Amino acid sequence: MAAPLELSCWGGGWGLPSVHSESLVVMAYAKFSGAPLKVNVIDNTWRGPRGDVPILTTEDGIVSQPAKILNFLRKQKYNADCELSAKQGADTLAYIALLEEKLLPAVLHTFWVENDNYFTVTKPWFASRIPFPLSLILPGRMSRGALNRILLTRGEPPLYHIQEVEAQIYRDAKECLNLLSNRLGTSQFFFGDTPSTLDAYVFGFLAPLYKVRFPKVHLQEHLKQLSNLCRLCDDILGSYFRHGPMGISPAGPEMIDVNLRKLTQLVNKESNLIEKMDDNLRQSPQLLPRKLPTLKLTPAEEENNSLQRLSP
Amino acid sequence: MSLVAEAFVSQIAATEPWPENATLYQQLRGEQILLSDNAASLAVQAFLQMCNLPVKVVCRANAEYMSPSGKVPFIHVGNQVVSELGPIVQFVKAKGHSLSDGLDEVQKAEMKAYMELVNNMLLTAELYLQWCDEATAGEITHARYGSPYPWPLNHILAYQKQWEVKRKMKAIGWGNKTLDQVLEDVDQCCQALSQRLGTQPYFFNKQPTELDALVFGHLYTILTTQLTSDELSEKVKNYSNLLAFCRRIEQHYFEDRGKGRLS
Repeated sequence: MAAPLELSCWGGGWGLPSVHSESLVVMAYAKFSGAPLKVNVIDNTWRGPRGDVPILTTEDGIVSQPAKILNFLRKQKYNADCELSAKQGADTLAYIALLEEKLLPAVLHTFWVENDNYFTVTKPWFASRIPFPLSLILPGRMSRGALNRILLTRGEPPLYHIQEVEAQIYRDAKECLNLLSNRLGTSQFFFGDTPSTLDAYVFGFLAPLYKVRFPKVHLQEHLKQLSNLCRLCDDILGSYFRHGPMGISPAGPEMIDVNLRKLTQLVNKESNLIEKMDDNLRQSPQLLPRKLPTLKLTPAEEENNSLQRLSP
Repeated sequence: MSLVAEAFVSQIAATEPWPENATLYQQLRGEQILLSDNAASLAVQAFLQMCNLPVKVVCRANAEYMSPSGKVPFIHVGNQVVSELGPIVQFVKAKGHSLSDGLDEVQKAEMKAYMELVNNMLLTAELYLQWCDEATAGEITHARYGSPYPWPLNHILAYQKQWEVKRKMKAIGWGNKTLDQVLEDVDQCCQALSQRLGTQPYFFNKQPTELDALVFGHLYTILTTQLTSDELSEKVKNYSNLLAFCRRIEQHYFEDRGKGRLS
């Protein structure tokens, strides 16, 4: 299946390949399943407010929503779920529904409706990437779309007012984060050691919340206290998005092993050098016996010093 | 309800035991009630039966307007009114009855996730079928929804409700779906439920929980309601363990207790 697949989506920032949740979901899934995806960062799009971003362009046509894009990739044999049992597949569907019902309204609110956040972070970011004059119109449209969605799904008639639902949606979102954290526990990914669709969705929703700098941050603070979810985001970012969103980085697990090996080698080298330094000092007659220099120097400096001394 | 009001209500709820004259209000069973409302009402009835709490079902034409949140069913207990399954479960828990106490944290998370799945997919699909599918909307829904009111109020209210539902569908991205795609989603949802249920009697093995009540409410209503086409019930009938599950709950909680008929 070497057909060139092109994904059009919003660009990245704050260390993320994309700031838009749904685009992140698709990108993460593509990395997990090994699909060769060429990412095309778009900016001047009328499709944004209609919810059509991200879009996958294939030789047969256009596929638009994340769920449909994932189905399409699965049909092309790029499947990240092949090791899951039937029950785990059912659980995936259920947890994705939980994310969309409980977490998404709060994420939309934090990005698009909360005035401080919207005017200082979200609007300038999107407006800077959309050419004039659309930059005057599109962010406002997206904000109104988000508010609409929150009110229609959570607001209670006859008073469709945002204040009444704010407390409720943040409470639900915190509960949802707690549930996810409980489910993840101490394992590396949700279903064992290899990432799957659920990891892609969780990463897509949580990573922007985790990384983007906001003025009003109580949901972000709550997320930062759940260290296993933060660790999951960092792991995925570090191993799958290391070379940036444009290139295709090598498969994740191998990178993790290489890093681990490098780290162990470094630690071993340091401890060897520390021992050698200690021996040198003890044998040298001019120096007064004193405390081990390792306690004073930082390991990096010491290693540099030792390397300079040892190299011919 | 705001957070303060909720805390206040649950404090009050905790002090009184369940009264004998608790009532559940829904729309008129024969002529007015729609598929989605019937499913919700049945889910609440099943839940209360499972908790062994007596409740009388009363049908009123204006039940939707009486409800504090605009959704049926709602229960009137003592001097409090609570609507929808989620708040009712919490209210009943404040009174000391709970079906999910025996579950550990991970299982509780799963239960909540599956309840959201049912709400997200099954309920939305039911709403779509009733209001956005022209054939069903024209033949069945409009006639039923407006039946207690004189002309022209019946048409106005029906169109207003349809407009609201269509707006909601568009906001969540279901506006462009075709009926076939919606039925496929229903199939996926039923497959997930069937796989989770497996061969167990209830979703969390021996004891039923609110998830069982919710799933029973929706599936039973889908199976027994006559629509313009049978596609929706056919999708559910493909999964035999779900059919057995519905039958089991019906027999155990509704017929044995002498309730006899269900909607």
